[in-house]
Amino acid sequence: MTDQGMLQHLLAAPGTEPTLASFNTEIWWMVLLKAGMVFAFLLLTTIFMIWFERRVIGRMQNRPGPNRAGPFGLLQPVADALKLPLKEDIIPRSADKLIFVIAPVISATMAFIGFSVIPWGPEVSIFHHQTPLQLADLPVAVLVILAMSSIGVYGLVLAGWASGSPYSLLGALRSAAQVISYEIAMGLAFVAVFLYAGSLSTSAIVAAQNNGWFFWELPVSFVIYLFTMVGETNRLPFDLPEGEGELVAGYHTEYSSMKFAMFYLAEYINMTTVAALATTLFLGGWRAPWPISLWSGANTGWWPLLWFLIKVFILLFGYVWLRGTLPRVRYDQLMALGWKVLIPVSIVWILFIAVIRAWKLNFNSTAIYAVAGLVFVLLIIMVMAWDEAAQQRAARNAPTEASPQPAVAGPGQPAAPAFPVPPLDLPHYHGTGVEPGNSATPAREVTGA
Amino acid sequence: MRLYLPIFILALLGFGFASFSVFMGTRLGPKRWNRAKLESYESGIEPTPHPPGGGRIPVKYYVTAMLFIVFDIEIIFLYPWAVTFNKLGAFGLVEMVTFVITVLVAYAYVWRRGGLEWD
Amino acid sequence: MTGTAAPAALAAHATLAASAPGAISAPPIEYSQLGPMLVVFGAAIVGVLVEAFAPRPARRGTQLALSLGGLAAAFVWTVVIAASRQVFANGSPGHTAIGGAVGVDRPTLFIQGTIVVLAFISVLLIGDTRFSPFVAQAAAPPGATAEQEGLAAGAMHTEIFPLTLFAVGGMMLFPAANDLLTMFVALEVLSLPLYLLCGLARRRRLLSHEAAMKYFLLGAFSSAFFLFGIAMLYGFSGSVSLAAIASTAASNTSNSTLLFAGIALTGLGLLFKIGAVPFHSWKPDVYQGAPTPVTALMASCTVVSAFGALLRVFYVAFGNLTWDWRPALWVIAVLTMVVGAVIAITQTDVKRLLAYSSIAHAGFVLTGVLAVSTAGLSSALFYLVAYGFTTVGAFAVITLVRDPGGEADHLSRWAGLGRRSPVVAGIFAFFLLAFAGIPLTSGFTGKFAVFQAAIASGETALVIVGVLSSAIAAFFYVRVIVLMFFSDPVPDGPEVVLPNVFSGTAVGVGAAVTLLLGIAPQPVLSLASHAANQLFVG
Repeated sequence: MTDQGMLQHLLAAPGTEPTLASFNTEIWWMVLLKAGMVFAFLLLTTIFMIWFERRVIGRMQNRPGPNRAGPFGLLQPVADALKLPLKEDIIPRSADKLIFVIAPVISATMAFIGFSVIPWGPEVSIFHHQTPLQLADLPVAVLVILAMSSIGVYGLVLAGWASGSPYSLLGALRSAAQVISYEIAMGLAFVAVFLYAGSLSTSAIVAAQNNGWFFWELPVSFVIYLFTMVGETNRLPFDLPEGEGELVAGYHTEYSSMKFAMFYLAEYINMTTVAALATTLFLGGWRAPWPISLWSGANTGWWPLLWFLIKVFILLFGYVWLRGTLPRVRYDQLMALGWKVLIPVSIVWILFIAVIRAWKLNFNSTAIYAVAGLVFVLLIIMVMAWDEAAQQRAARNAPTEASPQPAVAGPGQPAAPAFPVPPLDLPHYHGTGVEPGNSATPAREVTGA
Repeated sequence: MRLYLPIFILALLGFGFASFSVFMGTRLGPKRWNRAKLESYESGIEPTPHPPGGGRIPVKYYVTAMLFIVFDIEIIFLYPWAVTFNKLGAFGLVEMVTFVITVLVAYAYVWRRGGLEWD
Repeated sequence: MTGTAAPAALAAHATLAASAPGAISAPPIEYSQLGPMLVVFGAAIVGVLVEAFAPRPARRGTQLALSLGGLAAAFVWTVVIAASRQVFANGSPGHTAIGGAVGVDRPTLFIQGTIVVLAFISVLLIGDTRFSPFVAQAAAPPGATAEQEGLAAGAMHTEIFPLTLFAVGGMMLFPAANDLLTMFVALEVLSLPLYLLCGLARRRRLLSHEAAMKYFLLGAFSSAFFLFGIAMLYGFSGSVSLAAIASTAASNTSNSTLLFAGIALTGLGLLFKIGAVPFHSWKPDVYQGAPTPVTALMASCTVVSAFGALLRVFYVAFGNLTWDWRPALWVIAVLTMVVGAVIAITQTDVKRLLAYSSIAHAGFVLTGVLAVSTAGLSSALFYLVAYGFTTVGAFAVITLVRDPGGEADHLSRWAGLGRRSPVVAGIFAFFLLAFAGIPLTSGFTGKFAVFQAAIASGETALVIVGVLSSAIAAFFYVRVIVLMFFSDPVPDGPEVVLPNVFSGTAVGVGAAVTLLLGIAPQPVLSLASHAANQLFVG
């Protein structure tokens, strides 16, 4: 695929950063070719990720994972993909037929679009044509991804609503509330990046990281983004919309066959997209990591594609790792994290970063000092609020730990645990509950969550 | 519009693939009619009858939706500000801080009044 | 407070931004000239913080002090600006702050001052918790146990105070806005809190909810029309600034469809707010359903503010197109006066009666607007002051006449009130006479001033209609007076509570100003004509 002569030429003249103008002069077949490449990559990544996730989780749980179909079980997802269309396609009687069918299509389509503005590499040569290794770029490229993730939620909500089942509806509502809650923190995490890059175009953001990844300058934004990207994709430990324990399968309870597959596909593509976005915004995009970047050819030609993919797959491995290790959080914990931690922290962080930036740019104004003082006050308020919340939490937890009593609420004795739990000696437990005043373990189990 | 063309092409590819798959799912799979199978799934019990008018949804979700709009609009103001930060200078910094503080006041109110609690 | 140094320093900070390459020139922000509005908005924001952090028992007192203090400071600041030699140097008509977004000129300052004083009195009424007209728990459905518990605990939504301040801030910005976008924002800032406040009545809550819902829906429609109008005018002139629209209208005569559609739609949005016929249908329902102090606020401050905005838009932006909009506005003024006066005759509810009376009065002020002259402007300003104080006083009296279940709104309950408590009935009769425009009251001076200005501009026919509808209106005002004094008291009639400091001040100030402007109107008249001397700044 690579033309050797052109590669030599590129190696000789490094630093071909694509700009917005490079996207205005694309030839039509090049656009088609790249669109096909992105499409194929997303499908292959999904298939690979299904295998990868099952294998890694298997290893983490001391079992081999799928290992029958093909070498290392590599053909397992292919077998799954072939099996799904051969299953019966059920549309429940209470469903709204049209919307029930459209919803998975919306989810999958929007998932595909998001990836179009991710830069894979600098300008390369494909069939003697110089072209940036990126399907599309816009002055508002990052907004495209945000918009697509928002419209993707429509798929989920419509699916839950059209199913005509309470579990689906609950899952859909939860998913909508969760995604919009985390989208705020996600949007705020981007602000710092735009502040430093001075652009919303993804290629310009990668170009702005020439002298150092934004990860080093904006670590708080990066950490917030990591939280929100898990929340946005409804993955463990934030997968409450499809929490099996309580909602069967959430919004896709009623889906089967290829319609179910579309939701599955959308979830994995979304994971890939947000991981790629994290790479682009914070991890230098396709730029080589430090020791390799000393080699002058590291950021030219097709090599950057490799660095990009490595970074993306490391993040995807993080997803699997999270799933293998963390339990699902409670819904109130999820919302509290989004609204009470991520949002205030990111807002104050943005103001802080803005002051630092103003200092660096040497705005000659006394106003900066006033603003800096204000931000300082805000920081103190936040730390105090944090401290108070921690004290309250300690105060809530203290009695149960200090007095190891069972969680049975005797007459006139208030029940200690913060989470409402039925008494363990209810008749329908058939005597499996503990004797009152017998053991301390139930209380610890109940409140430890 | 030229810049958007590749996005449309990818959208068409994705849409075509998704609709084709969904269509094939209806063709390839078997069809065995069963009354219980077509009921909505509720762990084996008789499905809950649909409440008239779609039923009521907890007001929590509406509060969340309204808060989302407030903060989303804040973000919408923050993006162009962030992009033109260098050009706006100290003026932009002061104005944006004023704006963010007013939003934070509303946020503090909502928090203290329990608008962010879920149970 | 005016601080000559502060704006200079701030202007310097704005220009310094030009250091970066390709810098966007930031508009100067004249904080000192915007002070009155900033004080009110600032007090509102502090009020929200008080709601968030102050313990419940401390809230009411703190909020009341904050609101009254903020409004008083805003008034003082307004006076200081009006007296400032810097803003009005060398006979300048004023200054446009924030790069032309907000006009600081004498008519605006006059209107803002009026709004602040009227709002001060309304806040006194709102703060009178002896018979609180506000619901204990707005979120509880009517009749629910939560409502009973709230009533028993004496709970109160002290958010009412910040909401009022936000509304007042919006009202102050509305007539000052020198471009249509700022005006739209001000319109929303003043409207949204009012929609909420309307639904907070303690008694007859469903009626109150209905009022809030109607007001919200119709208000949203009218805002949408206003916004459409802005879009049309922007399409016509390529700018939302009033002055730019005026200059384009003067030079460009080709695209008049867009211009006329724009005038009609923006005019519609503004006329809705003042409640001119045929955009008046919300007024009776809302005035009746809303808690009476909120009705007082709407009937006085909102009307003043909306007229200020109407005057500014029609005098500044469409000042060269008088021949185009005058006939339409003429018809509306006639309709407003006649319909308001005639329908008022059939009313049996005091608050609805005052609502229709307010519609009729809007028609009288429109007569002044139609004069399109400095005399017209100054007479309209004077009329607004006179009417605002009278109406606040009248609504304050309504809060005093009480049945066991709340205010005695039905007119039949007022029968014979004059025999049982002659003072309150006498004061109310005095207010009604002022509404009717009887000499020795402010209403007479106001009507005289607007009619005089209209005749001077050759609108004699309009004045004849005005005088006739005044006569019709006088009929139903006198009917109420007759009912109060010359009919037998109803058995177990409403109790008239003694006014306390809050409602007493409201009634007293209303009556005093009504009397003063009737006997010795000259100082305020000359202040109004001084204010209107140079029209609005463009």
